[in-house]
Amino acid sequence: MSSHAATATIDHHHDPTTATGIPNKKLLMWAFLASDCMFFGTLISTHLIYRLHPPAGGLDPKVIFSPELTSFSTFILLMSSLMMALAVTAIQKGNVKSCRWSLLTTIFFGLIFLGCQVYEFNHFVHEKHMTISNSLLGTTFYTLTGTHGCHVAIGVLWLTLMYVRSFKPAAGSTQRTWFSHQLLHAVALLGGLLLVLKVTLGLVHALQIEPAFGAALGHFLKAEFLALAGVLVALGACVWFSRPRGPVDFNVTHAIDVESMGLYWHFVDIVWIVIFTVVYLLEYL
Amino acid sequence: MDASAKTAYLTKEELAPAKPKLLSHPSAKTGLMGWLTTVDHKKIGFLYGFFALIFFLVGGFEALLIRTQLMVPNNDVLTAQQYNTLFTMHGTTMIFLAVMPLSSAFFNFIMPLQIGARDVAFPRLNAFSLWTFVAGAIILNIGWFLPTATHGAPDGGWFGYAPLTSKQFIPKHSIDYWVMGIQLLGVASIAASLNFIVTIINLRAPGMTMMRLPVFVWMTLITSFLIILSFPAITIALVELMMDRNFQTSFFEVSGGGMPILWQHLFWVFGHPEVYILILPAMGIISEILPTFARKPLFGYPIVVFSGACIGFLGFAVWSHHMFTTGLGTVATAAFSLATMAIAVPTGVKIFNWIGTLWGGHIVMRTPMLFALGFVWMFMMGGMSGIMHAAAPADSQQQDSYFVIAHFHYVLIGGSIFALLAGLHYWFPLMFGRKVSEFWGKLSFWVIFVGFNVTFFPMHFLGLNGMPRRTFTYDPNLGWNTANFIATMGSYVLGVGMFIYFAVLTYTFFKGERVKKDYWDGRTLEWSIDNPPPEYNFRVIPTVHARDGWWYEKHHRAEIEKEKSAHAQAEEEHGGIHMPFGSIWPFVTSVGLLVGAVGITYFDSDWSPGIHAKLGVSLVGGGIMFIGIYFWSLEGNEGYHLHLDQDGRPIADEPHAKH
Amino acid sequence: MPNFFPNLARGGRALAALAGLLLLSGCDVNFWRMDGHQSTIVVAGPVAREQLHVFYVTVWVTLFIFVVVGAVLAYATFKFRARNEVDEHAEPPPQGHGNPFIELGLIGASVLALVIIAVPTLSAIWSTHDVPEAERKNAYEITATGYQWWFRFEYPAELAALDAAGAKAPLVTGNELVIPAGRPVRIHLRTVDVIHSFWVPKLAGKVDMIPNRANFLWLQADQPGYFWGQCAEYCGDSHAVMRFRVIALAEKEFSAWLEQQESTARTVTAPVADAAAPRPQVAALRSFRQNESGVSAKFDLDPLAGWQAKQLPEANENAALIGQGRQLFAAKTCSACHTVRGHGAMGVQGPDLTHVGARSTIAAGLIENNAEQLRRWIRDPESVKPGNKMAKAYRENKISVSDEEQVAIVAYLESLK
Repeated sequence: MSSHAATATIDHHHDPTTATGIPNKKLLMWAFLASDCMFFGTLISTHLIYRLHPPAGGLDPKVIFSPELTSFSTFILLMSSLMMALAVTAIQKGNVKSCRWSLLTTIFFGLIFLGCQVYEFNHFVHEKHMTISNSLLGTTFYTLTGTHGCHVAIGVLWLTLMYVRSFKPAAGSTQRTWFSHQLLHAVALLGGLLLVLKVTLGLVHALQIEPAFGAALGHFLKAEFLALAGVLVALGACVWFSRPRGPVDFNVTHAIDVESMGLYWHFVDIVWIVIFTVVYLLEYL
Repeated sequence: MDASAKTAYLTKEELAPAKPKLLSHPSAKTGLMGWLTTVDHKKIGFLYGFFALIFFLVGGFEALLIRTQLMVPNNDVLTAQQYNTLFTMHGTTMIFLAVMPLSSAFFNFIMPLQIGARDVAFPRLNAFSLWTFVAGAIILNIGWFLPTATHGAPDGGWFGYAPLTSKQFIPKHSIDYWVMGIQLLGVASIAASLNFIVTIINLRAPGMTMMRLPVFVWMTLITSFLIILSFPAITIALVELMMDRNFQTSFFEVSGGGMPILWQHLFWVFGHPEVYILILPAMGIISEILPTFARKPLFGYPIVVFSGACIGFLGFAVWSHHMFTTGLGTVATAAFSLATMAIAVPTGVKIFNWIGTLWGGHIVMRTPMLFALGFVWMFMMGGMSGIMHAAAPADSQQQDSYFVIAHFHYVLIGGSIFALLAGLHYWFPLMFGRKVSEFWGKLSFWVIFVGFNVTFFPMHFLGLNGMPRRTFTYDPNLGWNTANFIATMGSYVLGVGMFIYFAVLTYTFFKGERVKKDYWDGRTLEWSIDNPPPEYNFRVIPTVHARDGWWYEKHHRAEIEKEKSAHAQAEEEHGGIHMPFGSIWPFVTSVGLLVGAVGITYFDSDWSPGIHAKLGVSLVGGGIMFIGIYFWSLEGNEGYHLHLDQDGRPIADEPHAKH
Repeated sequence: MPNFFPNLARGGRALAALAGLLLLSGCDVNFWRMDGHQSTIVVAGPVAREQLHVFYVTVWVTLFIFVVVGAVLAYATFKFRARNEVDEHAEPPPQGHGNPFIELGLIGASVLALVIIAVPTLSAIWSTHDVPEAERKNAYEITATGYQWWFRFEYPAELAALDAAGAKAPLVTGNELVIPAGRPVRIHLRTVDVIHSFWVPKLAGKVDMIPNRANFLWLQADQPGYFWGQCAEYCGDSHAVMRFRVIALAEKEFSAWLEQQESTARTVTAPVADAAAPRPQVAALRSFRQNESGVSAKFDLDPLAGWQAKQLPEANENAALIGQGRQLFAAKTCSACHTVRGHGAMGVQGPDLTHVGARSTIAAGLIENNAEQLRRWIRDPESVKPGNKMAKAYRENKISVSDEEQVAIVAYLESLK
């Protein structure tokens, strides 16, 4: 708890105020991830144990899973990790603008992943008739991937709050409204992105039921008119909230916050690779 | 508790101008708001201890009721239901609400002082851990106050073996409270442990290398690692159980293909490290007390530390010895049998080292020392019966009998509780600046010691004579009457002993004799500061030159004084002592968790009745939690600076944004 | 202190008298002899003996360590203690930090001690796991199934007559397991609800009955005898009173017993025409304290002889009463849950009662099988065994059994030899 930290240059791999030189937040995050490993380890073990001892007449995962969609969402999540890494590098160099764009992209990719998961769950329940209570496979699958989905959702929320926070005015500013602006900004951003997903799903749906492109477009515009309007409003709000308003309280000294968040995000990504391998790919061996 | 903290150091006008009202930092240091917003590790430690002792008394009362029922054969003081509820809650309370938080109280209060830190690494996270622990305790105990037919307190045994805990066999909400309560306690424990890990690794004073850490700090570190690595297993097991009970999954549902044995594995993967979570802090306390009162350093410090780590590591490899009777097969049984025997070696090593510490020492026989020696004796006995359990064939007769009861009470009362009671006496002068009367302290020790042995020694015989645990009644023709009667009488003596102990402690807290600093002629850094410790702990962050840092300082005064004044000046030039602001948001977050958890508890396999209310309560809880976290992150980890006068009283302060 | 010692002596005498009184107050004066019915120390079979052997090894080794370490600890405590105020404030002793050679030596010694324990442990793990290879063919197989809160025993090799027409099914009994003495018995452990644990301390250590898991244990009784068993895993409300008995019989008597059990239920007389016919006035049964013991002192004198006596019909049977009881057994829907082979009762929820009169205990080994205790059970099962299904069935189907009906049903059940 020493009082001097802001020196001219910041070494991002060494914090002189701690006994080991590792920043406290980073250490905390690493320790938490070790713990989180055990959470997922337990869930994955449960799933594997029941795959090795399936009940008689249980569902066959190969009939249910669609590896194409999951491969796509896995790829998207990997890309989000890349963007996350770019965001960390940007803020370490003090490039707030670039950091913001990378954060936005990460959020967007994270939401696409979540959208795929929602679609997948929906598909499994309604088309393949696998629910959380009608089969042991459903029980372990939904609990495991659902827990992972919660992690991603928490990550998206965290990213959003971090993005919004990057507009906090620097100390000494006279803006007294930044606090309510932040809340609205976060709501607009998340709401807008969720609507974008809804609109995308609507477009896909329209293309599926209407063979002709023109008819599909018409159907789409009719069905998703409100959502489209919402997207525009939210987009506008985001642009308005993110207009430049003088110096902000977000700079290289906050690199550690972004970096710890990045550690979490990468971890969630790695866990997904393990889940994808163990839960999906292993079935096709 | 903290007499020097009566002044509010800050007024709102001094805060940064652009700060909305909601984010202004609370400045109360006393009163209810002072306690709710505190981030001071000492106050948080005190609160942990306060709640732990209350629950310790509750758990003890439950134990006395249990013993009363078993005093004579075919007794009818309690119904079967009441008895089953009592032993479930006795176990759960003592483990999660008494011993663990009492250890946590010491971790909080003593550990930062021992490493020369001004607080833990994340003061607000620390407050969150405390309040979440309280929330978990509330949910666990809520059932006592609700109708027994549909709610009631948990009654599935403290390890809640599936499928007894399923909706089919216990449809009441009692099990839901147990599930949710322990989940919250898990969150609290993990959050606290993460904090301790970072604190110990990162906030050590200059010169305090890992191999100079007091053994208590080492044991805190190992315990914290055990907690963050073992609690996930129980948390997930509880989530799975909750899904089974409330959302119709079939993790442990036999009809859906589930295997109840999985619960046992998950539970004991947590449960065995948990045993060490309970005993390692005790070993740490003993390793502090013995050197102080033998007036010489701990014998074989590196081996004591290494054996502690070894116990922690092996603790993850022996869980199935709780399951020797579940038909593991010969190979697995043999492997876990041998691993369990192996763990006896590092445990034995500690006992040898404690004796080595006494050898050639100059033993000052005060109350903490009596408890510490009592610990060594009783822990040895518990260890011996532990080795008997390690031999799987013998264990198949002892498992779930009173022999096991005797064993784990020897290690948990004779071990953990004795050490914690020793620790309370030992650190009482430091915490509150008052000392407990030697006469009453020693009297309470002897009454507790005798009562404890009279209670639990006969249980070895009961177990070998075939009395199974968790039985609310027994017939008179089985040869168990005398031993049970003696045990019950002993438990009353033990109860009287505990009453004396806590009565004297309470008296001392208010009226005890005041003592000067370093009352016991201590060896570690916590004794280098005034008592009760000032808010900022160390006037100057000490520089550590040897393993027993304070002992070295006391014997090299001139050199240390010079060094200290130089450091004090340097710190003053850098702005003074940095202190964190208090915060209400950790408390708000915990309240949100509590409300949300209560809502989820009421989800039933049948969703329709009152679904809106249940969902509403859960969502409101979630909302409060989110608000708490949001403001918590927005208010930032800022602090202010203290400047001290000659007597160590704060003279000026300034708000300060921490970068 | 001249008065101190006489006082001490007087106090000692009083203490001894008190202790004596305390010990005499129980009927088991020497509880440390541990020779009760469920003793794991005074055993009656090879499996329990092997387990006891391992236990003794651990006891001697740990006792030795305890005495040695304890002596050193006690010596250090007394030798190095500060003797007075001045001594307490004397110069601190030399600040030694330990001696690695002593440490390593002690670690080596502990490992050695553990090896002494490990060797018999490993050998016993294998020998107590399953019937020895040489005798495996000779082993008698039985399936034990745990219910909340009683045990069902099935003899897969023995076919019992279901009715007069000659239909057959494996023999099923409840709560009293009869086995051949001097012959290994392999018991398959199953459960229909929660986890139970099968434990006959004098014959073998426990093994759990776990849902969705096929466990087994083996045991053997050296001599014919009567053994106490109990569920050892907490299984709900009445776990404490979920007990059972094992009766080991010589080979010849065992065959005779099997033969008797395989027959359909004993019929004393043709059923009377009218169950509602007036019955003689019967006095109400005395009330029982909650958890009151249902076992008389006489029972313990020679339980095996008592059990053998139960195999024979009662001396003065009232055929009319028995006939009424049989009708009531159906009328009160007892037959919905209990089986009485040959008497048309085929329920499977509760214990098989075809030969219930020949058992020495009822309510899962909890109370003695006599007219008074059986009536206590039938009158109010909840008070005997809290939470049990029979009491629940009484409540849900509004079944009540009057004093006269109780006596008739008891007479019928006692006649089922």
